[in-house]
Amino acid sequence: MTILWFLFKEGFKGLIRSKYSGVFSIFIITISIMILGFGYVAARDTLFMVENIRAQFDVDIFIKQTASNEDIASFEKKLTQMEEIEHLVYISPEEAAVKFKNEFGEDIFDILDYNPLPPSFTIRLKTIYRNLISVEAIANIIQSDPIVDEVKYRKNFLIILEKYQRIILFSVLGIFAVLTLISITLTSNSIKMTIFARQDIISTMKLIGATNLFVKTPFVIEGTLEGGIGALLASLIIYGFFYVQNTYLQSFFDYRIVVSYRFYIGLFVLGTFMGLVGSKRAIKKFLD
Amino acid sequence: MISFINVKCTFHKNAGVKNLNFSIDDGEFVFLTGPSGAGKSTLLRLIYMDLFPEKGKVLVRDFDSASIKDREIPFLRRKVGMIFQDYQLLKDRNVYQNVALALYASHYRTREIKSRVYSILNQVGLGHRVHHKPLELSGGEQQRVAIARALVKEPIVLLADEPTGNLDPRVSLELINLLNKINKKGTAVIVATHNYSLIPRVPGARLIQMNEGEVTSIT
Repeated sequence: MTILWFLFKEGFKGLIRSKYSGVFSIFIITISIMILGFGYVAARDTLFMVENIRAQFDVDIFIKQTASNEDIASFEKKLTQMEEIEHLVYISPEEAAVKFKNEFGEDIFDILDYNPLPPSFTIRLKTIYRNLISVEAIANIIQSDPIVDEVKYRKNFLIILEKYQRIILFSVLGIFAVLTLISITLTSNSIKMTIFARQDIISTMKLIGATNLFVKTPFVIEGTLEGGIGALLASLIIYGFFYVQNTYLQSFFDYRIVVSYRFYIGLFVLGTFMGLVGSKRAIKKFLD
Repeated sequence: MISFINVKCTFHKNAGVKNLNFSIDDGEFVFLTGPSGAGKSTLLRLIYMDLFPEKGKVLVRDFDSASIKDREIPFLRRKVGMIFQDYQLLKDRNVYQNVALALYASHYRTREIKSRVYSILNQVGLGHRVHHKPLELSGGEQQRVAIARALVKEPIVLLADEPTGNLDPRVSLELINLLNKINKKGTAVIVATHNYSLIPRVPGARLIQMNEGEVTSIT
């Protein structure tokens, strides 16, 4: 108990003793966590935007003009039983004519003497099926029904969307991995400077018979504290930035940033972890 | 207690020690003398296993330089006290904290640490300087703090590497008297010095003379 208390006290005191080098480490961690925090929100919202676009994705099913009302009702029943479909809307030829007028400003009956617009269904698939492979498979099943004239969806749109989503996802993961590595290296180096400035403590401790664990524990505690403080500062700055954006700038950018308290907890854990790993890496060099 | 058996330990430009074969018994007072570069500090570093022989081995009680593991070295150093010319005190801690550090590192309990530290500081005449930082003390006082730190864990041997190198003759004499007093209580003392005037101050002390890494005489 005496030892634990002593090592914790040493860790806290070390933070005060380190002065400028400690402040520099905290500064580096703050910057690293800010980059990661803003990067995370930017990536998350970009992917969210892509998902939103994907959510607008509909499949139109055009029914043969010859189909009777009973055939259509029975087909609708079949569609509602398909677990891939989130919801569907039936559009009768009359409703289609109204829609035509709303969209093109002209009455179909003024152009032609009859209504050529077929009855149709617009279906929206569940999220997990809104991808090219699933959509193609579902469209083929629906197309095979004799009542169906044509199944239409924006295939190219899906191809482009999936391609860009993959690029965004891999870029985000790559950038994140690189940023995390850079952050840990920067943190480790700045903590190394802190330890370098106090090498005398390490050599003295080793001379008086301290074990490596005894020597390194206060430095690791100090590094972890620096990580935690850096992350807290970064969280405060990010919170302030989001607050200003959401309160004063939203009307300019039409973009509201929403993050839960878990995001800030995540940043704190990440900063603390970076301080811990960074200081462990840094002290190792001086103990070997 | 300490044995050098055919020890050779050299480093850049052939500096170091060679052909060392001698022993030091419990409770002995030994002066190591010789010019700069004779190998005195290397010999001391071999005892606290900061250096390891290329050939032969050093035995310190049950610790054998040929077979000791890294994790065992701290336990050896708890039995060996060391003082240096530059004192090696932590300047941002007071006298009490500098001395207590040695006991914290050896996992003593707070109550025992307190009583031991005050007791040893009184023994070296620094009971009134407990809360002073090293830079507020004279060179002699700083060296006495270093001695207190080395002795507080009750080592079997105290190694002193040029302990009077930064001290004036009067304080040097006081220091050697203090080391003599410590030796009389049973702790072996090995002093590396080229201050020959100190040797007659410790009657009965063994003198090991070194030159160019070799022991030239033992008297």
